Amino acid sequence: MLKASTREWWTGFWFILPATALFVAFVYYPFASSVYYSFTEWDSIRPAKFIGWDNYAFLLEDSKMLQAAKNTILITLFGIVVQNPLSLLLAILLNRSFRTKVLLRVAFYLPVVVSLVVTSIVWGQILQYDGLLNHLLERIGLLAWERDWLGDTRSVFPTIIALTQWQGLGYCAVIYLAGLQAIPQDLYEAAKMDGAKAVNRFVHVTLPMLMPATTVVVFLTIVGGLKMFDIPYIMTGGGPGSASYTLTLAIYNAAFRENTYGYAIAGGIVLMIFIMAVTLLQLRVMRRKEVEM
Amino acid sequence: MIALLFLYPIFYLILTSFKSPDQLYQPLAMPDSFYWGHYKKAIEKVNVLRGFFNTFAISAGAIGLMVFVSSMAGYVIARIPRKFFQFLFYFFISGMVIPLQTGMIPIFKMGVALHLIDTRTFMILLYAAGALPMATFMYAGFTKSVPREIEESAAIDGYGKFRAFWMIIFPLLLPATGTLIMLNIYGIWNDLFGPLLYLKNPAKMTLMAQVVQFKANTQSIDYGPIFALCVMATLPLIVLFFFTQKYMMKGLVAGAVKG
Repeated sequence: MLKASTREWWTGFWFILPATALFVAFVYYPFASSVYYSFTEWDSIRPAKFIGWDNYAFLLEDSKMLQAAKNTILITLFGIVVQNPLSLLLAILLNRSFRTKVLLRVAFYLPVVVSLVVTSIVWGQILQYDGLLNHLLERIGLLAWERDWLGDTRSVFPTIIALTQWQGLGYCAVIYLAGLQAIPQDLYEAAKMDGAKAVNRFVHVTLPMLMPATTVVVFLTIVGGLKMFDIPYIMTGGGPGSASYTLTLAIYNAAFRENTYGYAIAGGIVLMIFIMAVTLLQLRVMRRKEVEM
Repeated sequence: MIALLFLYPIFYLILTSFKSPDQLYQPLAMPDSFYWGHYKKAIEKVNVLRGFFNTFAISAGAIGLMVFVSSMAGYVIARIPRKFFQFLFYFFISGMVIPLQTGMIPIFKMGVALHLIDTRTFMILLYAAGALPMATFMYAGFTKSVPREIEESAAIDGYGKFRAFWMIIFPLLLPATGTLIMLNIYGIWNDLFGPLLYLKNPAKMTLMAQVVQFKANTQSIDYGPIFALCVMATLPLIVLFFFTQKYMMKGLVAGAVKG
């Protein structure tokens, strides 16, 4: 008996070895050595010099970094507060059976399929001073609204936020749609029999049954928002000034523009701890709600 | 109406790429005929075929490797209730929250040390490792829906563990594999961050890196060829999406429910 289970153990070991090796080599080891480098002054050419917490202390005084942190948090918050309810609404609309359903689903999912690189370039051109949006505004007589959407310190960040929401909406809606379709129909019929109105059916049947989907959507929104890179990198480079800076962009620049690798890594570590803390908290709070239903 | 807001930018992209140069600055105008000049120009300046091959090779290689390692790992995690494997499972899952940016510099150094920087192999290994946690998670979930009796009867028929897994269990996990392909191909194909950091050699560049490079080199205004290049870089995925969208939605349903 003992022998059989030992053999099982070894089989398992060989089965799981390739995945573990790959994971340790390309995820865990780089991460662990990053933790070390975050305490050093390092330009990747000369050997790293240990400087303790200095990088972390400097992060708190770096106005560009703080601006980037503020922007990143705002993008994420908007994702949770605006994009989530909108995508749920969209999913409910798409779940109704009408003829154009398939076409609509495809339409909303397209921004997910088409890369951020391409959509950023297209939107960048649409939002130029002599671009499509301003031409349209002129057409409908809103000349006063015309501006260089991405070049104006006041409008650049709201524009970037709007675009991140545009990009993520379809994906979230599809997950909600999946959740909606998994709800057994007889629950609604039972609620109807009890005389529950549409609003009540939504609050007492749909929402609780959608909690697992909500957990997934919020999780993805947080992780995606905190890692936002492509859109600001391509459209504005973080500018003008640091108005549309995000954390990953700031970390990228610190490493590959300014060659302050140790500092950049410290920024990455803080971002990671932040993501971990927020997602753990989120999962904890939301899982509890799932159990309650 | 709202759908228009989602479709229009892509429609606009395709439309603009066919506009003749003097129409390019009339954003509201329709092109009066198909003008292929931008495509010609883009193809002359950028080796699109090369980019397509690189992107395809990297995506296929990474997904293949990911499927290979994570299906076996997920199977073991679901079937052998030992502490060691359960620990590894959480070890993998915790990898999901580590942002790429955290490890990018050590990864770069490692690539240089192993002479793997600027190679497709390196990108394949990186993407496969990155997609591994989610894939393992999903395979573990799916394995639980495969009855144990199947393995027992395979053992009676004299199948070794590896053979039994690949010949009998793995085909049963096909829905999970399909979903994982769908979930990952867009991310890998469209990724910019990886190639930006680890593929500086123009001969190895992916389509997205080519687009960004081309845009940077053309400076400001010549949007015609840039848009044409964007269309070419995106078209394979749009075609794939149209053919698989029904299947993909189903896969997402399964993924969301099991996940």
